[in-house]
Amino acid sequence: MERRPWILLAPALVTIVMLVVVPMSFILVYSFYENIDLAVDRVAFQFSNWQALFLDNYYRIAIWKTLRLSVIVTVLAAVLGYIPAYFIAMTKFRQRWLLLLLLILPFWISFIIRTLSWIHILGNQGALNGLLQWLGVIDAPLQMMFTEATVIVGFLHVFLPYMILNVYVSLEGIDRNLEPAARTLGATPWQAFLEVTLPLSLPGLAAGCLLVFVLTGGSYVTPLILGGPSDYLFGNLIHDAVVSELNWPMGATLSFTLLVLLGAVVVAYSRLMGLNQLSKAFR
Amino acid sequence: MKKIDSTKRYEILRERMGNGDVDRRTFMGLLGAAGITTGVSGGIMVGMAQQARAAGTTLNFEGWGGVVSEALRKNAFDPYEAATGNTVVDSTFGGENEVLTKIKAAGNTDGHNILHSSGVSWYQRWVDAGYGSELNEANIPNLANVMEAIIAPFRAITPNSLSAVPYDYGTTGIAYNTKYVTKEEAEALGANLLLKKELKGKIGGWGDAANRAWYGALQSGQDPNNIEDWDAVWDKAREHRDLVLKYWSSGAELMDLLAKEEIYVTEAWSGRVAALQEQGHPIAYMDPKNGLAWMESMFVLKGSPMAEAEELLNFMLDPATSIAVAEGQKYPSSLDPNKVPMTDAIKALPAYDPTGKLANLVFRDPVTWNPLEKDYTAAWNRVAKGG
Amino acid sequence: MRAWGLIRLYTILVYVFMFAPIAVVLMLAFNNSQFGGFPIEGFSLRWFYKLAENEAIVRAFKTSLSLGLLTALVATTIGILASLALVRYEFRGKDLITTMLISPVLVPETVLAVGLLIFLRWLHMPRSFLLLLLGHSIIALPFVVLVVQARLVGIKKEYEEAARSLGASPFQTFLTITLPLLLPAVFAGALFAFTISFDNITATIFWRPTGMETVPTQIFGMLRNSVSPEINALGFVMIVITVGVPLLAGALARYFARKKT
Repeated sequence: MERRPWILLAPALVTIVMLVVVPMSFILVYSFYENIDLAVDRVAFQFSNWQALFLDNYYRIAIWKTLRLSVIVTVLAAVLGYIPAYFIAMTKFRQRWLLLLLLILPFWISFIIRTLSWIHILGNQGALNGLLQWLGVIDAPLQMMFTEATVIVGFLHVFLPYMILNVYVSLEGIDRNLEPAARTLGATPWQAFLEVTLPLSLPGLAAGCLLVFVLTGGSYVTPLILGGPSDYLFGNLIHDAVVSELNWPMGATLSFTLLVLLGAVVVAYSRLMGLNQLSKAFR
Repeated sequence: MKKIDSTKRYEILRERMGNGDVDRRTFMGLLGAAGITTGVSGGIMVGMAQQARAAGTTLNFEGWGGVVSEALRKNAFDPYEAATGNTVVDSTFGGENEVLTKIKAAGNTDGHNILHSSGVSWYQRWVDAGYGSELNEANIPNLANVMEAIIAPFRAITPNSLSAVPYDYGTTGIAYNTKYVTKEEAEALGANLLLKKELKGKIGGWGDAANRAWYGALQSGQDPNNIEDWDAVWDKAREHRDLVLKYWSSGAELMDLLAKEEIYVTEAWSGRVAALQEQGHPIAYMDPKNGLAWMESMFVLKGSPMAEAEELLNFMLDPATSIAVAEGQKYPSSLDPNKVPMTDAIKALPAYDPTGKLANLVFRDPVTWNPLEKDYTAAWNRVAKGG
Repeated sequence: MRAWGLIRLYTILVYVFMFAPIAVVLMLAFNNSQFGGFPIEGFSLRWFYKLAENEAIVRAFKTSLSLGLLTALVATTIGILASLALVRYEFRGKDLITTMLISPVLVPETVLAVGLLIFLRWLHMPRSFLLLLLGHSIIALPFVVLVVQARLVGIKKEYEEAARSLGASPFQTFLTITLPLLLPAVFAGALFAFTISFDNITATIFWRPTGMETVPTQIFGMLRNSVSPEINALGFVMIVITVGVPLLAGALARYFARKKT
């Protein structure tokens, strides 16, 4: 077996093992403990937490809701993000760095403040309702806040830069002569894009989708701030268990479930990326 | 943990090795880690290290930040540091759950001394968890100015000595927008204003389990300190949930929702409504019958340097400090208005009790509430999510 | 070219979407009112004065900045090395390794944070700035790995092989061939790492040593008593610095260059 890849991997793996794998093993142990009262756990080896997880509909509904919302957000992010990434990569505009920098500017303002500021826009007295009323399109303000839609908007706003940057990075590496070459061979611009550019940018798109999917799947703050009572994700159950119920054993059990579910998505991605490289070798 | 610099850490390590606590390899490893820590973080930590070196003793205070910490810094911490040569490191927490989680995970209270703690139930929880200290009241002369009525519930839990000094109080009553709800209607309906069907989609609520249970009890006509029918409580919570636009979880959210008229009625913290009124928003506040009152204390954790902590508490209870904090956060001070003259701004605060007896306020009885907390928190988390 | 026009329009719209909440925050920085959004009640610079006086925020800002830069450095370095291994070499257990490297985003931060604290207790180590730095670095690592990987896949192995066949050492090949081609990804990865560290709240709350505040933890505590508009002013200042200063420098450079000719 070759040693070089392991040398390259060593720093990352050591850090991950020390800071994630080992601590998470402690957490796994916790999932077998028994919670007696708030913040009081009994050392034990029993399966009541896992049993609750598998038998209780409450958790199943949350998993379903989470997967559904993650898919919606991922698809929308891909659709919204691909074209700007394409623009940034292909533009002749000299200050391209500025376009990239603008993407991360929102991060300068605390995530919580940014999320809260959607109320200023979509709320009853928000900018959008004000504009529509001023234009005479509507008489009374539309109730837009605190619905699933606002949660999705909030997610898209936070995660879109991840999608755009990932796609951009792989588009930027494509030889710019390829599309014109395809055109001279008689392809329409659309065909040239579909046959040449899109396949070559897939690794970036896949990476972006993976990130958006797992980030959405693991969130809890956005639905808490922008959603109504029925908008919650699996992460909210974990947050409830760990922070409000101070029930670490159940929190640990739920966290592991989320880890396994999202981990499966990563494995699928990893397989896909591998295949992608294979198919390239044959081309 | 006291703020220790690398030299001190090295000495502690050497001492431990001498005692056989640490074997040589762990020692070298830790030494290396200590070295890296110092190296990497050197530049950033310089300021803090200087603070640590200059100081005799360091006290760590954790509170709500913002106006409260500004007022405390100016009126209590700075004068205290000048007078004693000790250092107060103040930081912001998001709530006591967070501190308890940290302490529990770390297995000790190192780095935590004084908390701005909410409610008698948290007092009881800290004490039950074994983190209570024993204050020597003789070292806190300003405690004499604190209302007897506000100290009593704390003494009921720890009869022999206090672990905390009460600092401020407020109520969780009902806020309503006077453009849409009249005073007469609000007062006639009381807690049931939150269940008015015509206001569906314009009703808010505090998403805290204990609060939902309290209001569920009021709405189902029960004594909140002696709930007998929990099913009725949760039925009311469900009824409320189906009308609610949003459960808020922070004062910032509460104020935003009310100010922007996203909601017209909600439970609310008295101090936040006072802040809205000050800015001219048409929001009125009422305490329904048996509305919830609460108090906050400055809790000293076990293992803290007691004499220094007591002295600091005395600075914090100084009338000027206490009044400045009260004006900043808009919750009345725990000082007895019969002994310490209050400013007009404080007299105008909702929930302010000029008698100093607090006879009209109903506090949560930790004896009936704390043992049930695990159950009602879990129950509410499910009801909140449609269960 | 019609299509290109549409693409440009679409891009502008997406940027408008990205900036709408930011614009709101920036405008409110000048709002005289303590609170409450629109309509703006009067133009005022009072929040900027207050910001300048607020030592706690200024100090938190410095901490966040150093932490972000160091995180970007650490995460990008180890992330590039790991991505090279994953893309350029075949070995067993790749799926597992990939999952491990991405795992920090799969685990809820609260849990990750608590787990690490329990581990530290076991080691008898106190919380420290180093812990915070390493913690932020692993939270940022998945982003770096993904973006660098996506780019590496697109860089043909043949270039590197050609360099090697011309006698370059693997290290030389990396420096002269791979790294320059990788630069956009390195830049993007570092941006990710910096911003993630700068914006992180949940894990930071648990990992920071007592008394250390970053900008988000400082803001978080304010939420109980409404958020101070100073935060908006701070956002305004930071955005002006990040975009304004380089733009101004560029414009000045161009202006002087033109003057000379």
